[in-house]
Amino acid sequence: MKKTSGISVKDIALIGMMTATIEAAKDALSILPNVELVTLLIILYTLFFGRRILFVIPIFVILQGMLHGFGLWWFMYLYVWPILAFLTYLFRRQTSLIFWSAFSGLFGLFFGAFCSLVYLVTSGPAAALAWWVAGIPFDVLHGVSNAILCLALFKPLHFTLRKLKNAWF
Amino acid sequence: MQTTDKKSGRKGLIAVIALIVLIAAFALAYTLLSPSASEGSKTLTIQVIDDNGETTSYTVKTDAEYLRQAMDETDGLTYEGTESEYGMYVETVNGITADYNTDGAYWAFYVDGEYCNYGIDSQPVNDGEVYTIEYTVYTY
Repeated sequence: MKKTSGISVKDIALIGMMTATIEAAKDALSILPNVELVTLLIILYTLFFGRRILFVIPIFVILQGMLHGFGLWWFMYLYVWPILAFLTYLFRRQTSLIFWSAFSGLFGLFFGAFCSLVYLVTSGPAAALAWWVAGIPFDVLHGVSNAILCLALFKPLHFTLRKLKNAWF
Repeated sequence: MQTTDKKSGRKGLIAVIALIVLIAAFALAYTLLSPSASEGSKTLTIQVIDDNGETTSYTVKTDAEYLRQAMDETDGLTYEGTESEYGMYVETVNGITADYNTDGAYWAFYVDGEYCNYGIDSQPVNDGEVYTIEYTVYTY
């Protein structure tokens, strides 16, 4: 079937699947503070499915708001996850597992710093700095857990996604 | 391909080193920039004058904004009372109850010798102040 627009039916189904897996992974691990698979999934989906991630992230963020309420954190999500997808796209030619594990770790480590930008706007630099500093132990936990999860799961997920992509796209 | 792998491996190594260095830097930033949670910055004296006129004195180092929290942090001082919309009305200090309805007795609060204008929940505390809590009987 000839494509008439930029998005095919397959794309729509794929975007739905990607959003559902990210959403499920996010809420399944929500009992563990700052241990999450969203980073790893967004990295892999960006590597495999490129621009389609631009549809996934907004739907995921809106769903998170609908499920958990539109608090200040919600505005952080609006730009934090797109930053991750953008950075992943920049480094898309990297193939090393170690690189992507360290990349995930760095993103987790800087998560609080990125999020504090909201406080920079709402309450000024001193409040943003205080908020960031108070959350550093959680950022370190986030960075270390991101790196470990990526080391453990990047290869099997990469293998599975490559198989699926070859079979369907 | 080997060159690409080598390049990729080098970037991976750089990323790992960056991660470790930044974790250390963040830990240092946390240590240096976190507000000190050690000793309080205000030193207060709290004196309790009981129904026999005997004085017990306490010194407390606190970051409390209001008297109630400073009293909570004072080692050896105990108090009880009734919560109201104006804060707590203190009825018992160090186990001694002042019952206004029986004999007009109440616990009077003074700051640096002046009668407190606020309840313990809204009385602001400042470094060096002396609080006196005195068993007082209102006489007609």
